[in-house]
Amino acid sequence: MPSGALLFQSVILGLLLGGLYALLAAGLTLYFGIMRVVMIAHSAFLILAAYLAWFTHERLGIDPLLSMVVTVPLFFAAGVLMQRGLLSRLRPMTLTMMSVLLTFAIAVLIEGLLGYAFTGTQRRIQLGYGSASIGLFGARIAVVKLIAFGLAAVALLALYLLMKKTKFGWALRATIQQPDAARLVGIDTEKIAGYGFGLGLATAAIGGTALSLDTTIYPSLHWHWIGPLMAIIVVGGLGSVPGAAAAALLLGLMQSLLQIPMGTTWAQTIFYLALFATLAFRPQGFFGGRLAQRF
Amino acid sequence: MPSASDTVTAPGAAPAPPGPAAGRPRLGRVLTIAAVVALAAAVLAFPGLAPNPYILSAGIVVLNYAVLSTSWNFVGGFTGYISLGHGALAGLGGYGTGLLVTKAGLPSLAALVLAMLLVALIAVPIGFAALRVRGASFVIVSIALVLIMLLVFQSWASVTGGSRGLVVPRPFPDLLRPEHHRVFYYLYAGLLALALGVWWLIDRSRFGLGLKAIREDEDKAEALGTPTFAYKLVVFVVSAAFTALSGGLYALWFGDLDPVFQFSILTGSYMVLMALLGGVRNLFGPLVGALVVGTALEFFKGSFGNTPLHLVATGVLLGLVVMFMPDGVLPALRNLFARFDRTRQSSIREVSAAELRDQRLQSTGGKA
Amino acid sequence: MTASLETTDLRKAFGGVTALDGATVRFRHGQVNALIGPNGSGKTTFFNCVTGMIRPDSGRTTYRGADITRKAPHAIARAGIGRTFQLCRVFPRMTALDNVLAAVRPGGVLGGLRGARSRAQTDRAREWLTRLGIEHLTDVEARNMSWGQQKLLELAGVLMADPETVLLDEPAGGVNPALLDRIGTLVRELNAEGRTFVIVEHNMDLVMSISDHIVVFDRGRPIAEGPPSMIRTDERVLGAYLGV
Repeated sequence: MPSGALLFQSVILGLLLGGLYALLAAGLTLYFGIMRVVMIAHSAFLILAAYLAWFTHERLGIDPLLSMVVTVPLFFAAGVLMQRGLLSRLRPMTLTMMSVLLTFAIAVLIEGLLGYAFTGTQRRIQLGYGSASIGLFGARIAVVKLIAFGLAAVALLALYLLMKKTKFGWALRATIQQPDAARLVGIDTEKIAGYGFGLGLATAAIGGTALSLDTTIYPSLHWHWIGPLMAIIVVGGLGSVPGAAAAALLLGLMQSLLQIPMGTTWAQTIFYLALFATLAFRPQGFFGGRLAQRF
Repeated sequence: MPSASDTVTAPGAAPAPPGPAAGRPRLGRVLTIAAVVALAAAVLAFPGLAPNPYILSAGIVVLNYAVLSTSWNFVGGFTGYISLGHGALAGLGGYGTGLLVTKAGLPSLAALVLAMLLVALIAVPIGFAALRVRGASFVIVSIALVLIMLLVFQSWASVTGGSRGLVVPRPFPDLLRPEHHRVFYYLYAGLLALALGVWWLIDRSRFGLGLKAIREDEDKAEALGTPTFAYKLVVFVVSAAFTALSGGLYALWFGDLDPVFQFSILTGSYMVLMALLGGVRNLFGPLVGALVVGTALEFFKGSFGNTPLHLVATGVLLGLVVMFMPDGVLPALRNLFARFDRTRQSSIREVSAAELRDQRLQSTGGKA
Repeated sequence: MTASLETTDLRKAFGGVTALDGATVRFRHGQVNALIGPNGSGKTTFFNCVTGMIRPDSGRTTYRGADITRKAPHAIARAGIGRTFQLCRVFPRMTALDNVLAAVRPGGVLGGLRGARSRAQTDRAREWLTRLGIEHLTDVEARNMSWGQQKLLELAGVLMADPETVLLDEPAGGVNPALLDRIGTLVRELNAEGRTFVIVEHNMDLVMSISDHIVVFDRGRPIAEGPPSMIRTDERVLGAYLGV
């Protein structure tokens, strides 16, 4: 039986990890809501952002967090371009399948380019405050993990406020829920859809920076992220942001707790078990998401 | 060769009424048959022409790709469901065969067949979870499958050998290397012929027509009385069985399995790329795609070794095909032919409702 | 008069929107039934629930005495109920002939492996194409046809499955007057041959001229029913349409 402190620490770490999952899953959910696109390249962009953060620190000697000044707008633009230039040009009839392939191709391309530019060597940021940690009721939590969680939480909150409180958010929600009606009231749904994609990719930029703080990165790492992320959005009910967030926290927590008896590798299987169980028994997901049934 | 659902052919049908379709297929059919015979002859003659065992082994690898992408096309071509995880099924076939030989002491052939049956059995629950809902979930499960298998086979080292690999004894220990290659080359050619034959059989059957109806409009097919879920599941299992056979044969030929290569996401994406490039609605589409892409892959591997450029090239090529040639090379070629004898183009077109619907869909952001 | 298709208290809500609010309806066997009502009154949702495309939240559907509420759409189709879709649906990249042949039941596992174009089935398919006047399009892919041709093709496919009861969702939607007449005549002919029809339609001329029995929907439930002559003068119907 693991000690109480260890359990407590696992719970904290699981929630911290879940926060990052939630942010990234929110991005995936956004794409799916807008266009019914499963964006396989999301996690490749995540790793790309992590590499850019590492590069900023390693080669330019600047704090990795500052890389977001460049990556967030850059990724936003890339997202808009990708939606307007590529995905919206696919045939509507085969959009779901072909968009998966296209984003898959982009993921493979990014992985290849990363390998080409930075080689397959594992990279890790060594920060001055990297080894600092704080104690809390006997649990030791690394400061960088807290920073990463803070980033994710702030970004999620900003996303939430943007969606709920601004005119753009209102238009975006209208585009997702009732595109026809949205057009009727004068929303340029195509433009909004592009911005929505930009927003989704911006979450990958923030997530990637957060990830780079305490994770060893390598080009093919994105496959380890896309699996869990896809499981999260299915369990949460495709298209539901609150569902994705709840599933992210829950699965992140379970992964962290299962690491105690099973080790890190096997603990990952929880995502896939949850994925299969959801699809076999409750395909619409466990947290609402009424779109899911048909996709 | 066009698939049976295409406009230009109606094999076995009564002579079409005097209308736009009469007369046209003849030239096309002759050309098709000639091309198929030439292709078969080239495939069979290749071992005699290959200057060295290395080239011959490259030929085997390409044939392996051809079988894999043809197997993939049972699902992708008929139902339109795109699986990115068929690599996992090939890997399972390979490991299944290898483990049955090494751990259970079965003879190679028996191990191959048993492994195929086991994979087909495993495909049932996988298909059950993946095919109950439409589209997106299927792709998600297919990718997850590869990631899970990689995880399991790397971690479960006591059985699978983990990253140290699994050595599979050769089925024909007495044969010299070139002979060994030659035997496997023909085994692969036979398997390819079998896969093509079954695909052809399904293509012209009622079952196949039902599958194609699913590809075109699943709700509509269901409303017409097609048990779509059962159809998808059956064809998925058939596809898995052929994929597993190809993987098993590879294990026996290559003799050394490593999870990183057996459960690589790339294997699946190669299958998709090849089938899509050739044309998923065509019997020989995946084969043509495999010949082109497979040969290029082997050539680049020989010239430059394994580099990230493989990934870049695969990504770019797949992206280009999806954007600009989603129907593949063969239909494009056929359209080119059709332009030469245009007599059959009649003016039935008023407003195409499909276009109307496309526009409508486009305007709703692809929601149907 | 025996009921062939009967629903009891069907309810269905999408989020907060109630599409069906306790729909209890009996359609009469051997007749042309029409289902009318203002936009959003739940007609298409009703069709979708009856044919199994959507699961109702509660209530039940019986067909010739058998409960079909929870059955899969294909099972309901096989029980003898065929349907068309509001936005006419055909298989775009299949020829007209294949579109119609796709409705053939394979007949068991081995039957599925038989050729899709057996002589007998092809002949039957051609007969339907001929009867609907689109035999000249036999080898044309559906996506290259006009809207009206696609509507006829869809109907040919549905009839190929030989359904006892045919549900038509807006057969007159977007078709020209000549075709409208043809569809009306066809429905009467097929009805005379013993097929029951349930038709959702906005075109009142068509509804009044071909139906034996009309059910009027408003806000997810029937508010009136009866023969055309009665419906024409029913104040509740007028009220529903005018939003009074």
